[in-house]
Order: sequence, then C-alpha cells, then structure tokens
Amino acid sequence: MIANKYRQDTEPAFVLHAYPYLETSLVVETFTRNFGRIPMIAKGAKRPRSALRGLLLAFQPLHLSWAGKSELRTLHKVEWQGGQPSLQGMALICGFYLNELLVRLLRREDPHEQLFEYYQETLIALSSQQDYTPILRHFEQRMLKELGYALTLSYDVTTNKPLNAQEKYCYEIERGPKILGAGDCSRGLQLSGRTLLDMETGDYSDSITRQQSKALMRYILNHYLGDQPLHTRQLLKDLQQL
Amino acid sequence: MRAPASLEDLIESLRCLPGVGPRSAQRMAYHLLQRDHIGAHQLVKALDHALEHIKHCEKCNNFTEKAICELCCSQRRNAELLCVVEMPADLLMMEQANCYKGLYFVLMGKLSPLDGIGPKEIHLDRLLRRAKDGIVQEVVLATNFTMEGEATAHYISELLHTQEIKVTRIARGLPVGGELEHVDSGTLAQAVLERRVI
Repeated sequence: MIANKYRQDTEPAFVLHAYPYLETSLVVETFTRNFGRIPMIAKGAKRPRSALRGLLLAFQPLHLSWAGKSELRTLHKVEWQGGQPSLQGMALICGFYLNELLVRLLRREDPHEQLFEYYQETLIALSSQQDYTPILRHFEQRMLKELGYALTLSYDVTTNKPLNAQEKYCYEIERGPKILGAGDCSRGLQLSGRTLLDMETGDYSDSITRQQSKALMRYILNHYLGDQPLHTRQLLKDLQQL
Repeated sequence: MRAPASLEDLIESLRCLPGVGPRSAQRMAYHLLQRDHIGAHQLVKALDHALEHIKHCEKCNNFTEKAICELCCSQRRNAELLCVVEMPADLLMMEQANCYKGLYFVLMGKLSPLDGIGPKEIHLDRLLRRAKDGIVQEVVLATNFTMEGEATAHYISELLHTQEIKVTRIARGLPVGGELEHVDSGTLAQAVLERRVI
C-alpha cells in the first residue's frame, strides 16, 4: 500500500542523540533496527508536561512510530520496552562513546540489523560488567566489520601464513598485518603477533594486548573518522587523569 | 520592494533570540517601530545596561552586578553545603521549593559529549576551586536527570572524590502526588530499580 510506504509503526530503535529544535521540539538521531540511522523531529518533546520526556532517553530500547517523506521524519509514538538498567557512571560515558561512533560512522538510512543487535548486547554488557576495555574493543571490531572495514587478525597479508605470537608485525590500514622483519613501519602501526591473535579470540587479559589493541583501534578509527577527533575519547582521557 | 537597510538589520539582529525565526523577527521589528517607540528605547537602554554591568559571580558563577552575588554574601545560608545546578533557572526553582539553605554553584551548561561540550567549557576547574575553600563539607549534585546531566554528575563526583569532599546526588523517583497509573514507564522503571529500605 502506497499510504504505508512513508509510515513505520513500532520499529525497534535506540536514541543516539537529541538536540533542541525551535522552542519546544527536539531533533532525535535514532538507530532503528531495519532502517538504520534516521533523524526524526519529536514535536513538543521539550514541553514541561510532555509524555515523551521520560521516554526519549538514550541507551533504552524503544519502539518508535514515525511518518514522513523528507529526510527529517516526524515521530508519532514512543513505546518503552525496558528490561535494561540505565547506564551509570563510567558505563554511561562508554555508552556516549558508542553513540558518537555510530553518529559519526553510520550513514543515514543505511540499515545494519546485525550491528543493531551488537549495539544492544554491548549496552547490556556495559550495564552489568565492570571491565569496559574488552566490551569496547569488541564493539569497535564488530562495528567495523558490519560497515565493511573488517580487520585482518589471523594471517600475514603478504605471505598468507598464520600470525606468530612471538613476532612483530606492521599493521597497515585497509590491508592488514605484515611481518616487520628488517623493514620500517612508517605506513602502519607496529605491534606484536600476540596482540593481534588475542584480539581475534577476544582475550584481553594481557596488559600489553590491552594497550596495543587500544592503539590499533584508535589508529584505524581515526582513519575512518577523518580530521575531527572524538569528543568522548577526550572526556574518557580527562576522567582517567583525575 | 526591499525594506530599508536599517530595518533589515534590526530584523536580522532580533533573530539571534532563541525560537525567533524570520517571520517573528519581522513582526517584532514592525511592532517596535510602529507602535512602541518608548518600549524600544527602554529595551535598548536595558540591554545596554545589562551587557555592561552583569557579570558572573566569583563564587557561584551566577549572573550578578557585583563581584560576589547577594546569595553568596548572605549570612543566613549554610556555607558548608554547596549545590551544583546546570542553569540559573534551576537555582530559582530550588529557591522556590524552599528546601535548601546552603549555597550554589551554577555551571551555565552541562557536559554534552556528542556536542563537543567538555569539562573545560563548563568551567569545572572553577567549581573545584570553589569546593576546596575549606568550609564546604558536602557538595549536592542537582544536575538534570537527563543522560547529559547524569554524565556531568558522574564527572563532578569523580573530580571531587579525589579531593575527599563528600558528594551527594538528589534522589529521583515518582513525583509527589504521582499515581503509578499515570507515570511514564522510564520513571517507574528507574524508581523500582532505585527502591530503598524503609
């Protein structure tokens, strides 16, 4: 039916970011399960008694209904799904980091159902676990894979041989690791085979792995993010320095 | 026909106000010029005076005409309590509720990571200096219960914990006189999660 083409009902979604629009409305950046990242206008959401106020919260699973043909859709209805404790403290700042990554790297209206599932799992992990490093690294890797920039973490891209934990490798963006040997690593990032293999299996118990995987992800993400730095990364850094 | 340059200037200038688009700005400009010359003169004078004389209080960061505002100078307030709020409007609301006798610090904003507003932009270094005056015993965080307000509260609490200052957060839950039937699901869910022993 043509009438339904521009209308979507009860679509699972998360709010990524919201900013004020005119006197009483909000523009909400949403991440929907089947339609990707869609900006919507929530009319009257800033009014003191608006029912949307307690519902349009980031990090909470919602069902959204919207309509419209233009880039900015009109939000009609928000239903609370719940079942997920809200993020607090450091987990909340990590959540902002995920959202900033998605707002910056996801193109509008580009559906990523799998990434949506990962995002939801990651939020649950953040609200229930104390060690945030593996959770963030895991999400970054899966996100890059979903966006078509999957990392190569198991074999040397020049020789096609499996990586050796004892060797040093040079990781080049959009190519992968190659054995360092006597060559220089000016066009990539130098790290140990152990780090790459640990990242492949998701084992972040080693402190060098934690350090080097963070540097690698930062190196790769910076490439895709362009010149503008991530604000939440700065905030996390500031917090750690306190 | 084009409006005279000075009229266009006026309309353009009025658009700097929040929520004022081109049409409202035009309506305001015509009103001031057609019907209310005295009002317009008063507006100019008041704006000019305010711009020249109003600054931030050295202690609480709120707007004041003096170096230190009246509230901060008052002998009746409990100087051991310091309440952190986001905006001057929040301070007024706290005063109206008549529930708090301590002093304030107004952030004039909140941490908003996705908009690039960090600790430097909301002068948290000034808050830290203020809280370390040796008299303040407890800092009450009354930032909003939005995600950004929560992030701000977390950051301030981490900042002050390193200084061994007691930090508290105002409670949240059902509104006074609220009925479960009519309250939104988010509030109810959080209230159940944060239930307390009585």
